[in-house]
Amino acid sequence: MEKLKLNETPVRTSRNYNMNNIKLENIEIPAKIPSFNNVQITGNNSKVSIDSQTSKINLKYGLNKKLLEQLDLYANQKLKLTIDNKTNKETIINFKLDEKEPILLDNIEINANEQTNATVIIKYETTKNVKAFHNAVIRTNAKKDANINIILINLVNLSTDNFISIQNNFEENSRINYTIVDFGGKSSVTNYYSNLVGDNSDNQMNVVYLGRENQLFDLNYIGELRGKKTNFNMEVQGVLRDTAKKHFKGTIDFKKGCKRAKGNENEVCMLLSDTAKSLALPMLLCSEEDVEGNHSTATGKMGEKELFYIMSRGFEYKEAMKLMVRARFNEILDNIKNGEIKNEILQEIDSKLD
Amino acid sequence: MKTQVEEINRNIYDIKNKDEYDFKIKKGITKEIIEEISDQKNDPEWMREFRLKALEVYNQLEMPTWGPDLSELNMDEIATYVRPKTKLNTSWEDVPEDIKNTFDKLGIPEAEKKSLAGVGAQYDSEVVYHSMKEDLIKQGVIYTDMETAIREYPELVKKHFMKCVPVTDHKFVALHGAVWSGGSFVYVPKGVKVEIPLQSYFRLNSPESGQFEHTLIIVEKGASLHFIEGCSAPKYNKVNLHAGCVELYVKDGAYLRYSTIENWSKNMLNLNTKKAIVGKNAQMDWVSGSFGSKISMLYPMSILNGEGAKTEYTGISFAGKGQNLDTGFKVVHNAPNTSSVVNSKSISKNGGKCTYRSLVRIKENAKNSKSSVSCESLMLDDFSISDTIPVNDIQTDEVEFSHEAKIGKISDKAIFYLMSRGLSEEDAKAMIVRGFAEPIAKELPVEYAVEMNNLINLELEGAIG
Repeated sequence: MEKLKLNETPVRTSRNYNMNNIKLENIEIPAKIPSFNNVQITGNNSKVSIDSQTSKINLKYGLNKKLLEQLDLYANQKLKLTIDNKTNKETIINFKLDEKEPILLDNIEINANEQTNATVIIKYETTKNVKAFHNAVIRTNAKKDANINIILINLVNLSTDNFISIQNNFEENSRINYTIVDFGGKSSVTNYYSNLVGDNSDNQMNVVYLGRENQLFDLNYIGELRGKKTNFNMEVQGVLRDTAKKHFKGTIDFKKGCKRAKGNENEVCMLLSDTAKSLALPMLLCSEEDVEGNHSTATGKMGEKELFYIMSRGFEYKEAMKLMVRARFNEILDNIKNGEIKNEILQEIDSKLD
Repeated sequence: MKTQVEEINRNIYDIKNKDEYDFKIKKGITKEIIEEISDQKNDPEWMREFRLKALEVYNQLEMPTWGPDLSELNMDEIATYVRPKTKLNTSWEDVPEDIKNTFDKLGIPEAEKKSLAGVGAQYDSEVVYHSMKEDLIKQGVIYTDMETAIREYPELVKKHFMKCVPVTDHKFVALHGAVWSGGSFVYVPKGVKVEIPLQSYFRLNSPESGQFEHTLIIVEKGASLHFIEGCSAPKYNKVNLHAGCVELYVKDGAYLRYSTIENWSKNMLNLNTKKAIVGKNAQMDWVSGSFGSKISMLYPMSILNGEGAKTEYTGISFAGKGQNLDTGFKVVHNAPNTSSVVNSKSISKNGGKCTYRSLVRIKENAKNSKSSVSCESLMLDDFSISDTIPVNDIQTDEVEFSHEAKIGKISDKAIFYLMSRGLSEEDAKAMIVRGFAEPIAKELPVEYAVEMNNLINLELEGAIG
């Protein structure tokens, strides 16, 4: 059992607010990493080549030095995807952790070549009762004019510790649409960093999270705008029930020289119980004059009027609640064009709200 | 084309008097120095013990690991107590000429005649003038310096002194507890409405020294008060330190408005602590203008302890060359049906840095509470910095909480619109900057609002395009 300090914010504030990092106790970091083979790669993209020759992990942020070192040395799944197609095709990578293979350290590197267009869906799930450990790094390099959709789906069970470090690099005119569905994990800790270096590059980041029981989400999302006319848009919609807790740390950092850049950040958290906890630190850092930056956060319970309206149409409370949560998530889930996977997520929402 | 907003005209504030004093403690912070301050101030025994305990806490606590870099602060180079060459006076005529001249130039005696119910003036470590209108005295209002309060109202002071802001809060509060001197004590009895503001003005003249005034205000049930605090100092080459402490008790149904204009010189480290405990159905309003100092770390705080308590914070920061103003607001909702409204603006120019740093904490018991936070930052050039670092900690579902922030430059569209209505580009920009500051300016006492408008004096240069 270990005590881990991870997910440091780019700028510190008073430690009394408990937001500079997160300290997790009793984390079992596996000393020996067995092999992991329970991965399925499917899809219709024939112009994606996959090998295991990933480069050395060198992240600006990341969750924690120890977890990154563990990945660098002992990753039991290394996937380097090189994308060459011009029309949008889909690749699905599905990891399933079970009793036989409960430990997954995956190192994924996605390189989208110039003017390419693709969708990559990465899904993590566990069998029902397994106590698993998941540590991942996902790096994406979008070359000039590349246009990539990445959909990351975390459906691991509530006995699993889930750690994910993400880094995206953007060349000129590149675009990454990143959609994250974060539902699973006893502790689900994500560090997301986008480095918008190329002029006119664009990152649309959309996240839904749904926490229940004792789940803890620590979400540290950072966008650094460096190139001219860059754009970073972060939309986060969440729901917490029972005694679930969420730390949201969102940073838009306008670096000197990012003239005419735009950054928007919106986080909305719906609380479905009076014991759920929502902490948010939406930061705007600005060293450039000619920019537009906005952030907003809101926290509250379900709208009583809307609930009343739906129930007056004959729905029971629970059904009405599910409808409202679906409605809240819908705009983001519409980014998932794969109907089968989208349906699976909608069913997951329903089952988590039962 | 660049918008040039002038720095604050500091001619008045920068007038230095000769560094004359009755007593100046040696530099540094040791047990012997604290005991010497206690001797000089003729403290009662409880206060001497309090100071020494605070020193122990100071020595144990670390420097902040966040915010502006304070490495240039060397306490071994700061004299924490400087007694001016005068006693406390109740008539301006009795105040020594050079000190009186300073306050004359700052307009304090004039303001007292025109628009204030009482005035306190502190010069270095001691209050040199205090007075209040006769009718308030008759109603039982107490407005005096802290030293007098300790002597004349010992139980009242002892009950409240550093209970709202405990010395363990942070290192500079502990320092304050050890070396505090001067400041104001206000007591407004139950039901008394003080219609005209009271004002205390703090002036630090002595170089390489610190000012550690303590302000303690108790507004009893159903009473109301507007208190204004002003601060300034001339500029020296070496660092000066201000680590004051403000403790406000707003009892059930009471109202307190606390307005501050900080215009310290640009060698000042302003590490001030202000906190209010707000009772049932009471209201605490803060109006804060931060213009001066080299570094400010200032986050007034309201603790809404009573059901239905309310607080509002209206603040503006203006950081120019070499300034790092790290300011904001903290509120803890600790009872049902409480509400808070925060409206913060900042302007950064000429390499200055403004940071809005805040906390909104709505605790589990604060059902049906509401909080709305809005902050806007204006960047006037591309080598200034503006950061927004708010923490929102929501611990119950029965709340309405929203936070929004904006950052950017003067809108080209707005300039175009105004120019299409016949304004010159210069006038359009001036109007936009004044409009930006207007919601704050209108909350300031009128003489400060005029001063603020003067300092946002636009000067445009260069050619269009």
